[in-house]
Amino acid sequence: MPRAQLTAVFVCLAVAAAAAAVAAPVVDGQWLMPSGDYAATRYSPLAQITARNAKSLHPVWTFSTGVLGGHEGQPLVVGDTLYVVTPWPNVLYAFDLSREGYPLRWKYRPEVSANALGIACCDSVNRGAFYADGRIVYNLLDGHTVAIDAATGRELWKTQVATLGNGETTTMAPLVVKNRVIVGASGGEFGIFGWVKALDLSTGQLVWSARNLGSDAEMRASPGTFKPPYGSGTELGTSTWAGDSWRTGGAPVWGWMAYDPELDLFFYGTGNPSPYNPEQRLGDNKWSTSVLARRPQDGALVWAYQFTPHDNWDFDATGAMVLADLTVGGRAVKALVHFDKNGFAYTLDRATGKVLLAEPFAPLNWARSVDLKTGRPVLEPTTQTGASRGNVKGICPSLEGGVSPASPPAYSPRTHLFYTSTNNLCMDYAVSRANFIKGTPFVGVTSPYLPGPGGYRGSFIAWDAATGRKVWEDKEPFPNWSGALVTGGDVAFYGTLDGWFKSVDARSGKELSKFKVGSGVVGNPISYLGPDGRQYVAIYAGIGGDWALLAGDTRSDDPTDVRSPADYVKDIARHTSQGGIVWIFGL
Amino acid sequence: MTDRLYLRRSRPRSPAPRALAALLVCAALPGCAKHDAAPAPAAPALPAVRYEAHLFAGEIAPPGATLRNPHAGDPAVARNGAQLFTAMNCDGCHGGDGSGWVGPNLGDGRWRYGGTDGEVFSSIYYGRPKGMPAFGGTLGAEGVWTLVTYLRSLPPPPDLPTESWQ
Repeated sequence: MPRAQLTAVFVCLAVAAAAAAVAAPVVDGQWLMPSGDYAATRYSPLAQITARNAKSLHPVWTFSTGVLGGHEGQPLVVGDTLYVVTPWPNVLYAFDLSREGYPLRWKYRPEVSANALGIACCDSVNRGAFYADGRIVYNLLDGHTVAIDAATGRELWKTQVATLGNGETTTMAPLVVKNRVIVGASGGEFGIFGWVKALDLSTGQLVWSARNLGSDAEMRASPGTFKPPYGSGTELGTSTWAGDSWRTGGAPVWGWMAYDPELDLFFYGTGNPSPYNPEQRLGDNKWSTSVLARRPQDGALVWAYQFTPHDNWDFDATGAMVLADLTVGGRAVKALVHFDKNGFAYTLDRATGKVLLAEPFAPLNWARSVDLKTGRPVLEPTTQTGASRGNVKGICPSLEGGVSPASPPAYSPRTHLFYTSTNNLCMDYAVSRANFIKGTPFVGVTSPYLPGPGGYRGSFIAWDAATGRKVWEDKEPFPNWSGALVTGGDVAFYGTLDGWFKSVDARSGKELSKFKVGSGVVGNPISYLGPDGRQYVAIYAGIGGDWALLAGDTRSDDPTDVRSPADYVKDIARHTSQGGIVWIFGL
Repeated sequence: MTDRLYLRRSRPRSPAPRALAALLVCAALPGCAKHDAAPAPAAPALPAVRYEAHLFAGEIAPPGATLRNPHAGDPAVARNGAQLFTAMNCDGCHGGDGSGWVGPNLGDGRWRYGGTDGEVFSSIYYGRPKGMPAFGGTLGAEGVWTLVTYLRSLPPPPDLPTESWQ
């Protein structure tokens, strides 16, 4: 065979192998996308760290990012390079894992507007990057998506996708499927007109754009293709909103996306409808607080299911949609599992959107149950809110959610269990009329929190999504805000708001190791195989996100912004303060 | 994205109507924010306001460095300002009663860009880096002075610098 042909075959094989690696679970010890794999399982098959030896886990390396905002998200590991994206100003660091001390290969400091800090509702967070085709793709807070050459750090393209003046910022981690980069915008507190967009991975050019609400044409919902699992009808994105309230109806996209290559569908959740006062937007408000399934190629909407119709508690549904093949009621199901802010964990058929089961995973009292025939919650009349209802007291969960969407779960195909952080907070909720002024908050709520029942404020749980029951629970003194990781060694990992990084036995929940990482953890652990053939676990410390607002006394950087502790977490600043640090643990 | 609420509300918010139209009219009419003709009662003594003043090169202030609040200390204007604070969505970033949220606490007596009436006016009228929008366009000078008067009426808490868990 001529040499050129041989090379061509070799390149083809390499490309095919790379494509397979992206579509399949992480088997090679890399961490190429935010959730580890397209199914969003955050499962690493690496099995060097086990329940037996995890007690000897210890830090092997740390790095201060130099940034104080909330360090949500997670690093990537591609080959022997570790990539870290910081909160605004969204610096991208590339560390060489093959050298002692992991020195930087390069860092990329983008031009990013400081105005974004006043449009992002809840701190300057970034939820991570995606590796595809030699590029690191991520969002800058100010509404731009960038693609960076993974080898050199050079900016390949930069595309404006969102507009700060409209109340839009970009905190989510993109999803890359084939040649599509799929992104969405935050802004449920600014009355945005929520959307997802697809860019061309090679050029950054806009390929398609689809609204989450509005007309069928704008939503890319066409008869024959769009089949919601419950009910039917056309123009649901306008007819379920009073008047033209959908124009400022929110439904942002700031969480995680999953992709099923067999169905060729990607799945994502939408955030709250705007404003918080539900009486300014009567109706179901579709498709806010929903999961949407679309085709990546053209954005066509295939199905959508609304977890919280006419949301009046700020129950965003932007938490992860985890794809797993389960046996539910004796039947093999291609499932989608979602832990919602509203306190229910849902197991759906991901081909159709039908609800198979929905059970509470955290204390809740806004609804009694979910009716599986209609897919709708059975509401509790005393805990509905609205400007005419005054101050409604003692609603559970709080608007921080039974779990924060920023804290994604993990799923182990070995234990068949899901692992997630939870919050145990309740709230009072007094809504008032909100005025829409473009580029300013469109909210209108006063909602103090209260600790939930039981004397703890958060936990880390194992959940059986085939039966809808909790298998074990590790209670924590503070709301638990980190994502989860589970490994082939049957060890689960999470961090706490007061700054502990923990490993637990994935089968029993028994604590195996813990280490104080210097700041509260709101990021997500990952695991990878180092160039030395050893398994490592990486995590960000850096309290923030909502906690930058809720626990303002954890800040020490601004002498002109001094705050009292919040009543329900009076003691958090005793244990932690702000500061971004990357930690790597090994045996 | 998620979540915002006003965790600490030392003073209950006035339930007064907050229709934007009314406020824009308010901002447009010079008399709107005016108090009753009766002489204002003597304002209660406020704790000293601390702030980092800008330094003037050569100790010479630029022209326009000093702006005077026509409503300084007027409690009726301060009450209007409290309504304006929610109606213009200031509370969406700075929290109920300006107690701090994604934007800084405005009730702690400390000011990032200076705490004289004129400096606070400039912050609201022209906006500031790190996300403070310019409200001069929607509110006009009269509306901004009304907000300044409200903010300056917020008494700083007595024991702020030290937080103790002992």
